[in-house]
Amino acid sequence: MRKKKLSNYSLLAIRFHLPAFLALTLITLVPLLYTFRLSFYDYKLSEKGSKDVFIGLQNYITLFGDEQFLNSLFRTFVFMICAVALEVAIGILLALALNAIPKVKRLFTSMILIPMMVAPLVIGLMFNFFINPQFGLYVWLVNTLHLPLPTVLTADSVTAMIVVIIMDVWEWAPYLGLVFLAGLQSISGEYYEAAMVDGASDRQIFGCITLPLMKPVLTVGILLRAMEAFKEFDKPYVLTGGGPGNATEVIDLYTYRQAFVSFKFSYAAAICVVLFLILICCGILYQKVTMEKE
Amino acid sequence: MNKKRKTKYALIYLALIAFLVITLLPYFWLVITSFKTRVDAFAIPPKVFFQATLDNYREVFLEKGMLQNLKNSVIVMLATVGVSLVLGLPSAFAFSRFPTRGDQVLLNYLLGTRFTPFVVLALPLYLMMSKVGLLNTYTGIIVAHVAFNLPFVIWMMRGFFDAIPKEIDEAARMEGLSWFQIFMVIDIPLGKSGLAATAVFCAINSWNEFLMALILTGRSTVTMPVAVPGLMTPQGTLWGQIAAVGTVITIPVLIFAILVQKHMVAGMTMGAVK
Repeated sequence: MRKKKLSNYSLLAIRFHLPAFLALTLITLVPLLYTFRLSFYDYKLSEKGSKDVFIGLQNYITLFGDEQFLNSLFRTFVFMICAVALEVAIGILLALALNAIPKVKRLFTSMILIPMMVAPLVIGLMFNFFINPQFGLYVWLVNTLHLPLPTVLTADSVTAMIVVIIMDVWEWAPYLGLVFLAGLQSISGEYYEAAMVDGASDRQIFGCITLPLMKPVLTVGILLRAMEAFKEFDKPYVLTGGGPGNATEVIDLYTYRQAFVSFKFSYAAAICVVLFLILICCGILYQKVTMEKE
Repeated sequence: MNKKRKTKYALIYLALIAFLVITLLPYFWLVITSFKTRVDAFAIPPKVFFQATLDNYREVFLEKGMLQNLKNSVIVMLATVGVSLVLGLPSAFAFSRFPTRGDQVLLNYLLGTRFTPFVVLALPLYLMMSKVGLLNTYTGIIVAHVAFNLPFVIWMMRGFFDAIPKEIDEAARMEGLSWFQIFMVIDIPLGKSGLAATAVFCAINSWNEFLMALILTGRSTVTMPVAVPGLMTPQGTLWGQIAAVGTVITIPVLIFAILVQKHMVAGMTMGAVK
């Protein structure tokens, strides 16, 4: 009797899960497996009736000797680390400021929602317009206020990368601010009261109460952002197109070009497999961290 | 003490306002530019006061055919939200109400799908769709958008279903309702504010998406974000029109975002932070 009940129960679960996971298998798992297979072949798109040639690990061997690939991977990590570090720093300051003010908090939080809701592509265009050397508002501001800043930003590889990083910070620092604010608000007031009674200074309170209690939220925020930053594509695509040279060609942009500009599909597939593995590692890390919290 | 506190607040307000002004300046500049004539847009020093015009909107949407792209974006967005919810809601409900030993595997699978770079999915989808003739069709791009929105829907709605007391379901079971009926007439209506937030996030995800649409759409199905860079021609960039489309892409999103502000953080961290 009991056994029958259990199997009914599982059947029920399966019936509810089936549509979603059937669809997901078809539209995500099958394509991923297809990519995996493709990465061991030499894929020919143009020739009708031609067969893909099995070439074993050749794509991977080429890949790890490909300086452009390694450079763009390195570049992506530089971008990711700089952008996320700045976003976290600004996010913490923003959260502390928003948490401290007694009034119109709602208005401020509504306003800082704007950047993360603007389509990344529009952000790229917006910055493109804003820093345009001929008529950009930025250039006019620098010239009129005599600020010690360069005016032509996308022609130099270092400043171009800085602009790409700033675009990402512009978009996501307020987001981390909101996430951290949610974290701050979940800290019980009793801790602070106890600390006040003990006569702790503001700095001590921040270092000994706020930061340790915020750790789970900080880690979740940082990991989520890092994984998203790793997938950067839209903003550099419209602002710099990866240039000057390859200075801002992040890994997704490089992969896109290998596949859809050079039409080296199986080579791009090998890159995709490597990217997927990197992301899975981050995903496992994320899972560990969020599970710990629960 | 009181005075010291007051100056502290004043400083924080000032800093916040300064931050907002600097942050929002480029965006407002874009919106303002969309209402300027070509001469005003490129004037130096920049013009803050000018005769507003809707010429850019008229030119780009009516004469350049951006209206079709707007239509494409709306179709893709609505279909993506609809399909993702229909497929995802039962699964989210099952995660919440019928926990099994296999759940952890399924959840990890969802998370993995969610974190996969779009280019990794777009490449095989492109090759597979080119074989079955789905490139440049609405179906093709909708499938791709569902692929990354479906895990999101399940993950989000699981949390919202968890928040509905299980006692209600049990009472309904006593009344003789089937689980499907309970799901349809009790839990979905009870979870409707979460459902609305999930739908809005889903819509925004699809509406703003660029890479997959760039790869999978063709002439007749191009969505708005993909059509905009087309206005940057070698003969010159039509900044006023780009600004107009940029404004049309962002304003609806901002309105919806403010409507679901309460669920904002939960939505953007997939429920990891509430």
